[in-house]
Amino acid sequence: MTLLRLIGRNLWRKPARTLLMMLSVAIAFLVHGLGQGFLAGSQGSGGAEAGRLVVQSRNGRGQPLPHADAARVAAMPEVAAVAASARIRGYVGTERTVAVASAVDPNAMAAVMAGDLDLTPALLAQLDGARDRVLVGRSLMEAQGWRAGQRIALTPFQIARADGAPWSFEIAGVFEGARPEIDTHFMIARYDYVNAARAHGRDSIDGLMVVPHPGVPPAALAARIDALFASSPAPTRTQSEKAFLDALIREIADFRLVVTLVTSASFAAILMIVANTMAFAVRERSFEIGVLKVLGFPARLIVGLVLCETLFIFVTGGGIGLALARVAALLAGPELGLALPPPVVARAFLLLIALALLAGLVPAGFALRMTTANALRFR
Amino acid sequence: MTPFPPSLPGSPGFIRLDGVSKSHGRGAGRVAIFSNLSLEIPRGDFVAIMGPSGSGKSTLLNILAGLDPVDAGRVAIDGCDLSAMGEDARAAWRTTTLGIIFQFYNLMPMLTAAENVELPLLLRPLSGRERRERVATVLDLVGLGGWARHHPREMSGGQRQRVGIARAIVTDPALLLCDEPTGDLDRRSAGEALDILGRLNRELGKTIVMVTHDPAAARSARHVLHLDKGAFSPAGPEVLS
Repeated sequence: MTLLRLIGRNLWRKPARTLLMMLSVAIAFLVHGLGQGFLAGSQGSGGAEAGRLVVQSRNGRGQPLPHADAARVAAMPEVAAVAASARIRGYVGTERTVAVASAVDPNAMAAVMAGDLDLTPALLAQLDGARDRVLVGRSLMEAQGWRAGQRIALTPFQIARADGAPWSFEIAGVFEGARPEIDTHFMIARYDYVNAARAHGRDSIDGLMVVPHPGVPPAALAARIDALFASSPAPTRTQSEKAFLDALIREIADFRLVVTLVTSASFAAILMIVANTMAFAVRERSFEIGVLKVLGFPARLIVGLVLCETLFIFVTGGGIGLALARVAALLAGPELGLALPPPVVARAFLLLIALALLAGLVPAGFALRMTTANALRFR
Repeated sequence: MTPFPPSLPGSPGFIRLDGVSKSHGRGAGRVAIFSNLSLEIPRGDFVAIMGPSGSGKSTLLNILAGLDPVDAGRVAIDGCDLSAMGEDARAAWRTTTLGIIFQFYNLMPMLTAAENVELPLLLRPLSGRERRERVATVLDLVGLGGWARHHPREMSGGQRQRVGIARAIVTDPALLLCDEPTGDLDRRSAGEALDILGRLNRELGKTIVMVTHDPAAARSARHVLHLDKGAFSPAGPEVLS
């Protein structure tokens, strides 16, 4: 027998109780995993590249910038790539099905999104055949059930066509995200086509995406870009892509706060359940703790045994919960965009260990305080 | 049987209690159990302590085991001053010097007989094989060689007590403290347990201090002390009858 086996025997003396505690921890971490998966996924800002910058009008996110700004930014020595984008937001089919087409120079977009979107030369070449062709992201493609070669109509909320008709695009191909957290719920249209056919605001864009050269601090470049346009008719506001997406999401709701509140509530409940149940379990075997002390087990070793039991329950239950969240993320498909990248899982495990130690404090403290003579009277 | 003197002049005691006082409770409700109690037991003796309920027999055993601190006085066993040791030091001392046998066996219900006996050895720097060999030896010694894989619930009271004895002696301690070891046993099982204790004393030289209400159990000891009203006295025939 070893101390590990002793811990195991204590844990499984009442299997139903141990399993129920593990189940409750598993549910809490499933909720946590799904919430974090949502935030880390394409619905959150998890796919945002920290070094990539987004340039928009200082006067407001909906305000246009001149397309010529792209060339001025591209001429800056610190800049590696720039893509100008005009976003057509509208609905396809019914009004509840909202979709977005980013009108860009596809090659510039490929340079800016290199490593995130799988925009191969062969795929980009598909757009050459006709100006109204689009590449559709995998998530949007699957959500709509579209096929390559299909023609779709996008009724715009803004950037209307000069002829008043919906935008009509032919699907030339599908692009993939390099990772689950990369948003592919949009399509890529040709800027030259959209610019020529739009009713108003020709040669304007909604913003720029900028990639600095390696070694260039993004914050410093952002300040330089804003300084470049500070005295122009359209001053800019440049921020990291992550900050931009976080702000965009917060306009709908503060999902981070919602997720934090929900998981905190579940963790608080689990903490109380496990701490209380473990305290009860330890109190129940007070005399055995007394016997261990009589046999010469030092108090710190007994506390360690109790903490290990709690740790085992949390690591096993939490591990199962996170594994289920991972399975759910895989099964949910790209339209939900759940992602559990290793840093999120690592943070969850750290949280798990912290909660285990916290939950173990009450029973461990009880075992520590119990005098041997008193413990033996519990029988 | 020789009545036991609380102190043997000229004989350095293996167990020494010098002017020990102990009370329970607090403030005005404080009740003195002993006051200025002294006792000396030589190495290799087998002493039974009798006395009415509430006389402090179990408290005395707890003090000898280093489980209960004394209010005043000095407790020394084999030259170690328990009164001067911290709790962790006393715990470490117990693993090497002391074995305790309880009235209700106090076995871990989820462990087998062998695992229960092995428990104190987990604190020793022994290999798994060495531990198993020691466990097998002491289980054979108490006549439970074939019961190693059985759980306490599958054993009789007498067998459980023999597992308790095996657990107490597996570390080869010099001192065995027994708290009513026959109190929960029928006459036959009690006889078997006492027989083992007698052999441990005679053949292996273990010093044994046994608290008991049972005159038959007390008669198996070499010396019997009567503890009452905070003082020892030699047990008279009326106590042992």
